[in-house]
Formats: sequence, structure tokens, C-alpha cells
Amino acid sequence: MARNKYDIDEELEEKFDLKNVKRLKKYLTPYRKTFALTIFMMALSSVLSIGFLLVMKDGIQVIEEYVNKSLYTKDYVLKRVVIDALIIIGITVVNAFFQSKKITLTTKIGQGVIHSLRYDIFEHLQQLPFSYYDDKPHGKIQVRVVNYVNELSDLLSNGIVNTITDMFSLIFIIIIMFALNVKFALIAMCGLPILIVAIAFVKTKQRRGWRLSSNKTSNLNAYISESINGIRVTQSFVREEENEEIFRRLNNDSRKYWMKAVIYNFMLGPIVDFITTVTTLAIYVWAIYMMIGGVFGITVALLTTFSGYISRFWAPITTMANFYNSMMTAVSYLERIFGTIDEPVIVRDVKDAIDMPKIVGNVAFKDVSFSYEDNVKILSDINFSVKAGESVAIVGPTGAGKTTIVNLISRFYNLDSGLLTIDDIDISKVKLKSLRSQMGIMMQDSFIFSGTIMDNIRYGNMDATDEEVIAAAKTVCAHDFIEKLEDGYNTEVNERGSRLSAGQRQLISFARAILADPKILILDEATSSIDTETEILLQKGLARLLEGRTSFIIAHRLSTIKNSNCIMYIDDGRIVEKGTHDELMKNPDGKYYKLYMSQYDFLAK
Amino acid sequence: MEKEKNVKHISKDARKWFLGYLKKYYFKLGFALLLVTFSAALSFVNPKVLGLIVDEVIGDGVNINTEKLPLYVGIMLGCTLIASCIRWLRNFIFETASQDMLFDMREGVYKNLMQKDFAFYNKNRTGDLMSRQTGDMQAIRHCVAYVIYNMYECTLLFFAAVIMIFTVNAKMGALMLIPVPFTIICIILQSRAIKPKFAKIRDRFSSLNAFVQENISGNRVVRAFAKEDYEISKFNKENDGYREAETDAATVWVKFMPIFEVISASFSVILLVVGGYMVINKTMSLGQFIMVNGYLWMLNNPLHMFGWLVNDYYRFIASVEKIYNTISAKPDIMTPRYPADVKKIKGNIEFKNVSYTIEDEDVLHDVSFKVKAGETIGIIGATGAGKSTIMNLICRFFDATEGEVLVDGVNVKDLNLHTLRDGIGMAMQDVFLFSDTIEGNIAYAKPDCPFEKVKWAAELAEADGFIMEMADGYDTIVGERGVGLSGGQKQRISLARAILKEPSVIILDDTTSAVDMETESHIQVALNALKNETKFIIAHRISSIIGADQIFVLDGGRIVESGNHEELLAKKGYYYTVFNHQYGDFNNIRSLYATDKGVK
Repeated sequence: MARNKYDIDEELEEKFDLKNVKRLKKYLTPYRKTFALTIFMMALSSVLSIGFLLVMKDGIQVIEEYVNKSLYTKDYVLKRVVIDALIIIGITVVNAFFQSKKITLTTKIGQGVIHSLRYDIFEHLQQLPFSYYDDKPHGKIQVRVVNYVNELSDLLSNGIVNTITDMFSLIFIIIIMFALNVKFALIAMCGLPILIVAIAFVKTKQRRGWRLSSNKTSNLNAYISESINGIRVTQSFVREEENEEIFRRLNNDSRKYWMKAVIYNFMLGPIVDFITTVTTLAIYVWAIYMMIGGVFGITVALLTTFSGYISRFWAPITTMANFYNSMMTAVSYLERIFGTIDEPVIVRDVKDAIDMPKIVGNVAFKDVSFSYEDNVKILSDINFSVKAGESVAIVGPTGAGKTTIVNLISRFYNLDSGLLTIDDIDISKVKLKSLRSQMGIMMQDSFIFSGTIMDNIRYGNMDATDEEVIAAAKTVCAHDFIEKLEDGYNTEVNERGSRLSAGQRQLISFARAILADPKILILDEATSSIDTETEILLQKGLARLLEGRTSFIIAHRLSTIKNSNCIMYIDDGRIVEKGTHDELMKNPDGKYYKLYMSQYDFLAK
Repeated sequence: MEKEKNVKHISKDARKWFLGYLKKYYFKLGFALLLVTFSAALSFVNPKVLGLIVDEVIGDGVNINTEKLPLYVGIMLGCTLIASCIRWLRNFIFETASQDMLFDMREGVYKNLMQKDFAFYNKNRTGDLMSRQTGDMQAIRHCVAYVIYNMYECTLLFFAAVIMIFTVNAKMGALMLIPVPFTIICIILQSRAIKPKFAKIRDRFSSLNAFVQENISGNRVVRAFAKEDYEISKFNKENDGYREAETDAATVWVKFMPIFEVISASFSVILLVVGGYMVINKTMSLGQFIMVNGYLWMLNNPLHMFGWLVNDYYRFIASVEKIYNTISAKPDIMTPRYPADVKKIKGNIEFKNVSYTIEDEDVLHDVSFKVKAGETIGIIGATGAGKSTIMNLICRFFDATEGEVLVDGVNVKDLNLHTLRDGIGMAMQDVFLFSDTIEGNIAYAKPDCPFEKVKWAAELAEADGFIMEMADGYDTIVGERGVGLSGGQKQRISLARAILKEPSVIILDDTTSAVDMETESHIQVALNALKNETKFIIAHRISSIIGADQIFVLDGGRIVESGNHEELLAKKGYYYTVFNHQYGDFNNIRSLYATDKGVK
């Protein structure tokens, strides 16, 4: 899969697939009863609305009859009108209760559905492989979890309720229309095929339009996110204007494709309007000629009543057409949301995965090969074994595969072939959580979460007491600088690790790694940004720390690793040399010897 | 009290800011509102014509006169056609105007964010800032595209109806105005109640967004510590919080909606009771009564809508305020109004008693030094000693709390910010690469420069070799933050990026820490060839800075030692200790292993 950047559209399958809509069922089913209740109340509410009109009509009729026909006494009329008014108020209050209950219920449904949809996508994201995150700008992932899901709330609550309610009233109206006059009813229905043809015509374009549009929004979001994260680089390279230019382009795309898509949405309203008028007129004209022909039973009253129903017939259809419109927009979001949920979890617990027993610390690689992409081998035939409590240093040129080796131990990736065991247990057979929670890993990039420094260190072990956190910080020599900050351990830091130097961030993530009290400790360039003096102190603490733990250390500063039990020189995905420092230094033609001596080259000059 | 006043003040400025963008579209929107008026008027035509058909064509149903039928049919078709076109046009104009305005606004906010200083970015989370550009912008778009015209249409209908009723019967018209003050009070009360709720929704949304953003950025750490469950439980809190805020806002709406319903029904009640009484007492004719009844829907419908609209309006206000609050803070670091007349900096740098304090923490204390253009300066010192801060002061990412930072004898505060930064090429400690091709990343400063230039810079930074080994070479797309590259590779690309800029001052802020020794020495040779450039090299390895003209040793925010390599060794201080630790065994090694080699 090609890596994606901010201005590349993500490809999606071209066919319109109802399955995405069908999948929503899972999210809607828990609210079946709520839906039913809401729709029932809406039905009652419609009855009440009709009641409202009838009572109003009654009041007017009484007054009319009093004036025109002098039927009743004045007092009677007044009394009846007041009673009607009271009934109207009563109906309104009850109806208002239903309406407001409807809002409560639809909010509950809408928010509930997006709540669980969002949970599912987030939960799935926690399992997706690194490659998923590596291959696309983070802004594009983010917009799915937050923005796209939000867009669905109204549609999945009010949209559905209104459509179903309207469907009922539509059926009701059709029955009345046929009861009134079959021929009129048939004429009125003639408009439907026209509408369907129109919708079918618009549909393909509309769908393409929304798909493109959501792609462009996604691109724009990705760029915004990157611009914020990379602001330091941008400002120091005075790239603001060029970036604004790129932003303008993406912004413009987003606008352009939105307009292109939304234009199709606008077409439905006017089309329905026009069809309504045409069918009404057709019925009138037809009725008039029938009347001329002297056909029995067609009266003015029938005609006016009927034309009243025609507009009532089309109103729900308009709502349904709008629902369909919104559905089209939603589908382009749904595709992305479900697309993410469907993203295969490559590294996962196998079926009968067992809990990793308490790790002792024996690690073995047997003929391990690995590649990120199909054709480029990163590691080939790696063989080594480490006994519990030993420390292994991995050295070699950048890009040789050092980080990959340690990533495999934590099973961040699956092997292409070979076997990797810890305490003679194949790690692909154990539960990931049980494996990783027993390891302490410090990565090249020391990521700091926003929160206090205390929280950041405690991330390694949520149950640790403050004292334990401080003890861990002391072990890695981070205590002193933390104490000097204005709020000490409670100093707030954020994800870009502002205010902390790279070295300080490394020390914090180091403390985080050891707080877990892991049996296997992985230090990937753990001390690259740490000054020599701190490092000397750190080494002393580290020696104590490493006792009884198996450790893997990647470092460029060779002083860090000299005392390791075993040093492996990796080049081009293979172990080319292996041994203790002293052993390796005996071979002056060896790579390690050269590497070690190169430190001193400049002194010899 | 004081706080409330402050909030009000902000909201006034926020309104001004928003109207500043809307202003451009006043004419367009005005025209569209005119169309709304037309289409509202046209909606009266069809029922009228149908009435005419009944009256004049059908008559009593016996003597049908079809003479005028084609005319009426024509009028109705024509009107519907025109109404449809107007409706389409109206939607189109509102949508275009809202999209255009959104475009301007997004660009404005983006530009604003580009100008913000580090202090701002240290305070605001990425996800929060993103919410301003996504969710908040959507709320504004919705308002411009729908709320404005609906509000207009409702008000128009309502007052049209009142006027019509007045012409029919003045007393009735006056009576119909009775519910108006109640409506207004209700709107005001609802606004007060709903405003904080929407502000809360925006906060929760922002917080949810920020949390998700961090989870995605920190996904490796989450995995490494097997903290997926913990993240999910934290996410649940955010997700619940957002739902709660939305539900909470709905509760307010649920409370007020029935009141609007009752007010809306009150028109019917007034007509029936008071109007009925008047008809009975012959102070109003039955015909008038029926006519007023015909206008009732024009009074009722807007009232049903008002509550909704108030809701939508405050959703919009909450977003406008949120965006405005984010962008309104003026950055402390800006180009002065009258910058010094400097076209390109040469690279002489001087610190005069510079101190830098942040939140009571002394980061730099009374630092003074002088560097001539073309010199190489090495900086070494403890973690957090203030090394990067010195660099950030030169680039003016911060301003010195005390003292002066001079570039070519001019205080950096008097320089055009762009001129200053244009002259400095910085390879930062924390390598940030963009999700772009490698070529695009290296040519970041000069996107249009020829490929040869990119290759030249990469060669100097010892990056050409590994780039060429990649499947797509310079066209390889690197992931955000340079995922897929090793630490050393990222550092070299970042160095190439700085070199390509051809700056007068090159800053290597611990840029070779993840690069092996051999590669590093090649890089040094290449850098030494750049004779005119001032070079600052921050490093922990003595080998990285040994050849520097001056080396500063920093400790606790002060320069504790300075001089060249030999001078510093002679001082037997910090530098000497570090050297001994790193290379103290050099002589031993030579005697131990060199003899082996000799034997062989």
C-alpha cells in the first residue's frame, strides 16, 4: 500500500454499496424500543394536530352558523367557543409534551448511536498495526473518529424518525386519496416515476460528488494537523507563505467539491415542487373535462379537497427525498468509518492465545526474517539467544535493522518466517497485553502526553505510588531537573513536550519504561540526547537497574554499551559480528573494531 | 462580576471579527434575502390561481367556461417554474456565500496560526487548534447557509401576516401582537440558558478531539506499554462527556419548546375567543374573521421555528467565540513596525548579558559571547542547561528577558523576522518531517529549487546514499514525523533541509546524536567546507565539536567555560571530565589493540 500524504486522495471502491447502510442496523437495534416509542408518540401527535384543526374548525363553524343561519343563542356560541379554546390549549400542551419528549428521545438515540460508533472506531484503532498510522497523515485518521461520526447524529435520529413517521402518513394519505377518487389518485401518483427517474439520475453524480468532497475535507484536515505539529520547522524555515499557498489550494478544493456535490442536493426540492404543481393541474384539467362530459360524481368540493391532499402527499415525499440526500452525504462518511473499522488487525491474539506467564527473560531468535513491504527484506535469518539477566547491545549503521529487531521482541510486527521465543514460549501464541505489559520499552521518539510529568511517568504503571514514580525518576537522574521546575512533578507538559529539552524528555520516558519493573528492558537510543555527565550518573544507576533483567540496548555512543554481555553488529539486516567488547576488539578487521576506533579517529588527526 | 464583564467584552469583539468576514457578502446575502421575499410572495400565487380556476372556470359546475383555463394553467406553471428557479438560486447563493466566507475565514485563521509564537503553541493542544478549523467552522457555515435565511423568512412571514391582519381589522392585528413580548422574553431566557451549554459542547468537542489526536500521535507508546485498555477508558470519559454536553443542551431546548408551542397556539385561541366575541357582537364581520383565520398559519409556523433558530444561533455564537478567543491573542514576537534596513544577515552574533526566564525558572543567566561570521561554535553541557534556548533566542522564537541578542550588531527585536530566520538554517533536536516526499522535505525552504540543489544538500549531509537505496529514491513519501526512517536518517534529512537553505548561520542542535561516528566525520568535513557560514554545533560527543573555533560549556544556564579544545582541556574542568570519560581510555586502547593489529 502506498503511503499517503496530505494532497493525495484516498482511493475507495467505486461501487455504491448498501452494506454500509445495512451495518448501521447494529447500532440502531439497541434503540428499537425508543424508536418505536418516538414514532408512536409522533403518530399521536399527528392525531392531536388533526384534532387541533377539527376543534378550530368547529369553533369557526359555530360562529359562521350563528351569523349566517342564526342557529344558536349568543351565550351558547360563546360558551362553545371558549370550550373549544380550552380544548385547543389542552391539545397544545399535550402535543408540546410529545414534541419535547421526542427531542429528548431522538437526542438520546442520535448521541447514543454516534457514541457507540465512535467507541468502535477508537477501540479498533487501538489494535491497528503501526503501518496503518505510518502510512497516512494523522489528521485523516482523526477526522474519522471525531468529525465524520458527528455528522451522522442528526440523520440517525431525527432523520429516521421523521422518515418513518412520514411513511405512515404517506400511506394514510394514499388510502384517503384512493378512497376519494381512484382516477385522481392515479394521476397524482404519476409524478412518482418522474421523481424516481430524477433521483436515479442525480444519485450517481451526487454520490461521486460527496465522495470527492469528503476526500478533499480529509486532505485539508490532514494539512491543518501537520501545519500545527510542524510549526517550529515552518517558522524557522520561513515557509509560512508557501504553506498558506498550499493551504489555499486545499481550502479551495474543499470548497469547490463541496459546491459541486451540494448542487445536486438542491435539485430535489424544486423538482418536487414542480411535480406537485403539474399533477395538481392535471387533475384539475382532467376533472374539468370530465365535468364537461357530464361524468357523474365529480364535484367542486371533491376537487378542492383532493388538491389539498396532493400537497400533503408530496410533503412527506420531500422529507424522504431530503433524508435520501443526507444519506448520500452520510454514506461517504460511513464508508470511511467502516473502512477503518474493517482495517485488518495484523498483529492480534491468536485464537487460543495464552497469558504470558511471568517472564524470566530468556529470549531467542531462530531463523527470523522480516520485511515491512513484500519485496524489501529488512532482516534475514537472525539467530541468537539471550539468557535471562543478560544485556545485549545492538550496533550498526543507521537503517541496518536495529530498531526492527527490538520491535519484533515486543511483537509490534509479525515475523515473515522463523521463531521468536521468550522463555521458550513462541510469542505469537501469547496474549499481546500480557506480553507487552511485562516489558519496558523506550523508543527513539520520546512521546510526551499532555498532563503532568507525574502522569507521564506513571503511564508505565498506573498503580505506582508517587514515591515509586519519584524513585524511578531518581534512578534515571531525572529527579533533579524535575524538582527545579516551578511545579515539580505536577508541572503540566504537552504532547510536543514544550519546555522540556530532548534530553529531559528522554529521561522522562526512560523513567516511564523502568517504572513498569519489566523483566525485559528495551532501550532504543535511550540516551542519545543526554549529556555525558548525566550519562555517567545514569550508567551507575543503570548497572543496578539491569541486574536480573534482560536488556536490549541500541546506542551510538559506544561507552554506553561496552559492558554488555553481548554485542551484536547488524549490517543490512544480518548479524555480522557477535561477542563481548573484548572479543570483538580482538579482530582488527572487524566492523565493530572499526566502529569503535572511529571514535578516536579525530584524535589521531 | 468582573469576569462576566470580560466575557461580554470578548463576545463583542468576536462579533466584530465575524462581521468583518460577513461584510464582503452583504450584497450577495441581501440579494438572496430578496429572493426569499419573492419566493415567499410567489407561494401565495398558486392557491389563489386554483381558487380562480374554481370560481371562474368551473363556476357552479354546470356552465363550465374553459376559455381562461389555458391562461391559468400557464400562470401556475410559469410561477412554479420561476419559484423553483428562485429557490434553487437562493440555495445556491446562500451556499456559495457561506462556502466563500468559510474559505476566507479558514485562511484567516490559518494565517493567524502561522504567526503565533512558541508560547502560544506550548499552551494549546494540537487537537484543540484543529477543532477551531473543523467543527467550529462547520457551525459557522451552517449559520450562514441556513439560519440567516430561516430567521429572515420567519420574521418576514410573521410581520407580513400581522400587517395583513391589520389591513383586515386593526383591532385583531393589535391583539395578535400581544404574544410578541412573551415570545421575546422567551427567546431571551432561552438564549441565556442555552449559551453556556453550547460553550460546554464546544469545550467537550475540543477536548475529545485533542484526546484522540494525542492517542493517534502517541500510538507507539500506547502499544509499547500495552495501555490500550487505559486509553479506551480515558476515551470513554471524553466520549461520555461530549454526549452529556449535547444531551444537556437538549434539556434546555426541551424546556423551552413547549412554551413556544403554547404561544403559537395562543394566536388561534385569541382569534377564536376574542375574534368570535367580536363577530357575535358585530364589531367584526364574519368575512374578516375567516380571512384572519387564513393568515393564522403565517403566525404559527414562525413561532415553531424560533426556538430551533435560537438554538442554532447560539451553537454558532459559541463557535465564533471559541475561534476568536484562540486567534485574538497577539503574539509577543512579531516583526517591528519599522524594522532595521537589513536585506540579508551576515552571521555575526553577539549576546550581551542575556537572561531568559520562563515561569520563574531561570533558563539562561547573564550569558555573553561574541561570534564572528564564519566561525564554528561548539556548545556542550548538561541536559536542560539552556543550549537549545540560546539557539531559540538567536532565531527569536523567544525574546530575552534581559540583555540583548545582536545579529550583525542589530538587536534581533529590530529585525524583520523573516529576514532573520531566512538567514538561519536550523536542524532541530526534535526532527519533524512532513508527510511528503524526501525531496519535498529537503527542499522545504525552497520548494521550487532544481533537483541538483536537493541532491547537493543531501550529499553534504551524507543522506544521498541511503536515499538512493530506497525504492523510490527522492520520491519516497515519508510518513508524518518521518516514520519509516531511522533516527539517524531523519537527522540527516533535517540537516540537508537546513543546508539547502544556504543560510548565513547554520545551527545543528544535537543533529548527529543518532548518526554513527563514521558518517558524522564525513558530515564534519562537508560542513567545514562551508567557509562563510557561522556554525553552531550543539552536541554531547566531543568528536562533534572538537574542531570548533570556540566551545562554550553550559551549566545551569551559564557559560561556565569557553575556549577552543586545547584551552578547555588545559582548564581541567567540566570539559576535561567529559573528554576523559569519552576518550580517556584512548591510550589504553591503542596499546591494547594497536599492537594486535601490528602483529597481524
